[in-house]
Amino acid sequence: MTTAATVSTARRKRWTAMRREAWWGYFFMAPWLIGFIGLTLGPGLASLVLTLTRYNVLRPPEFIGLDNYVQVLTQDELFYPSIARTFYFAALFVPLAIGGSLLVAVLLNSKVNGTVLFRTLFFVPSLVPVVAAAVLWGWLFNADWGIVNQGLRALGIPAPGWFSDRQWALPTLVLMSLWGSVGGTRMIIFLAGLQGVPEELYDAAAIDGANAWQRARHVTLPLMTPTIFFNLILGVIGALQVFTSAFVATRGGPSYATWFIGLHIYKHAFEYFNMGYACTLAWLFAVVIIGLTIIQQRLSSRWVFYYGEQ
Amino acid sequence: MMINAATLSASRSASEQARRRRRITRLLTYALLITCGLIFAFPLFWTLSSSLQTWQELRSYKPHLIPAVPQWGNYPHLFQIQPMARWMLNSFMIIFLSLPGGILSATMTAYAFARFRYPGRDVWFIIMLGTMMIPSQVLLIPQYLLFFKFGWINTYYPLTVPSWLGGGAFTIFLLRQFIMSIPRDLDEAAIMDGAGPIRILWQILVPLMKPALTTVAVLGFLGTWNDFFGPFIYLNKAKLFTAAVGLQFLTAAEMIETTREPRDHLLMAAAAVMSLPVILLFILAQRYFVQGVVLSGIKM
Repeated sequence: MTTAATVSTARRKRWTAMRREAWWGYFFMAPWLIGFIGLTLGPGLASLVLTLTRYNVLRPPEFIGLDNYVQVLTQDELFYPSIARTFYFAALFVPLAIGGSLLVAVLLNSKVNGTVLFRTLFFVPSLVPVVAAAVLWGWLFNADWGIVNQGLRALGIPAPGWFSDRQWALPTLVLMSLWGSVGGTRMIIFLAGLQGVPEELYDAAAIDGANAWQRARHVTLPLMTPTIFFNLILGVIGALQVFTSAFVATRGGPSYATWFIGLHIYKHAFEYFNMGYACTLAWLFAVVIIGLTIIQQRLSSRWVFYYGEQ
Repeated sequence: MMINAATLSASRSASEQARRRRRITRLLTYALLITCGLIFAFPLFWTLSSSLQTWQELRSYKPHLIPAVPQWGNYPHLFQIQPMARWMLNSFMIIFLSLPGGILSATMTAYAFARFRYPGRDVWFIIMLGTMMIPSQVLLIPQYLLFFKFGWINTYYPLTVPSWLGGGAFTIFLLRQFIMSIPRDLDEAAIMDGAGPIRILWQILVPLMKPALTTVAVLGFLGTWNDFFGPFIYLNKAKLFTAAVGLQFLTAAEMIETTREPRDHLLMAAAAVMSLPVILLFILAQRYFVQGVVLSGIKM
């Protein structure tokens, strides 16, 4: 009788403790949860519904079924090229950015003097606001008066038109984005990863007769793969959303050479006020990004190595 | 005896070779670091140099790397002809109104994810990480429509209120990782002393989270200061512009009004002025900041 009572009070006590813990959990999570429902889930669903409508903000949305999708996929002459251009940008930028950051991190990790000075030097460009970077690169690479072309001409090298040339505009944007990100937080994360490689692994490799290259290839690189993977995922998502640099430096030009999907969506949403159509573009693009991220996640087990896990 | 001397000299020459190779590697490292460093620094140097020249000087046949006579007057001139000071003040104000909310709500959420066990927690956590994948364009349009309905266009509400609701998935993730690395014993000792969850967070965890919180604050400052798209779509009165939108406005005007004399030197001055606060902030917070980024990266 008494034991049953104590068991039940103990159970009740545990139950109330659990309830209290749940209450506190949701209490602390509440601001985010409200934000998630009100600013992510709600708007996300609303925009999905809007893809089925024609909506110009002034008049109420008008249901048009799948017309927007049909129009995007079969009639929009700028849609496929802008998606392809966006991927081209990411394909150029992401490998160079990750490779560049890794290289700078390796250089800074070698035991030389003045690493703090060099680290600051590499980091500062990543602090420059993208708008300011676009303005200053526009001037630096100005076809007529830019210092770069003045220098090239002085050396007798043919000077390209950079931002004002169809062929060069996109690669120049890539260069600009690299300048603004190679030495940034990505590099610091790599640097930390390099410093986190256990010294005994290098010693063991040295005893086995591995030279510097083999140590880099078979010790450092495998241990860096989780960090590389993390930066690859974030890098691809970021690069595919390229907008501000192109908007300020080239306005999508010359003749659509840097017209990325972000600019296309912007144009339809905030210049033509074709909200339904812009939502359709945005959602199709979102599906591409999410799909790509999932594919990368799946492929990661083939090359990402977690030390200490079997 | 002979053999010994031979092996000795052989090993000595081998170690000499190794030392020479090491010296060459060192030299190469320096050469690469200095070359890359100069390439990275040059655009910044050229911005400053251009901002101190006259427009005629900038377009002279032979460019001057260093201004013939530094035109310090360009800076006051910039502030006279454009409300640059106002724009920067606006940016500061938006940061002042949004950053505390972002840090507070992100810390709370991170605390919930790291320390409490409750139904649905892991699902919510995965969902939160998933939101990082959603391209901003998908949400910006409906959010714009929502705030438009609220009558929030040309106010700072759309740029500040959302920060108080979560502070961003990446921030939450970073703080949660950091809290997880703090031993639970500290919490439990505080519970023994009769402290509730709020006091544990405020008096035990927050003081220990200083590097992480500094990192988050610096990243938040940078993000808001540099943000272009948000202020650009919500603000269309010149006196409400942020520094980033204002600078874009100057450049766009420069492209359209081609008849007046060029203002590249003033644009460069504006770019320099706009970059200055974030660079200063980084230099001040560098130690904590690097530490915090490192922590976020290692614990993936």
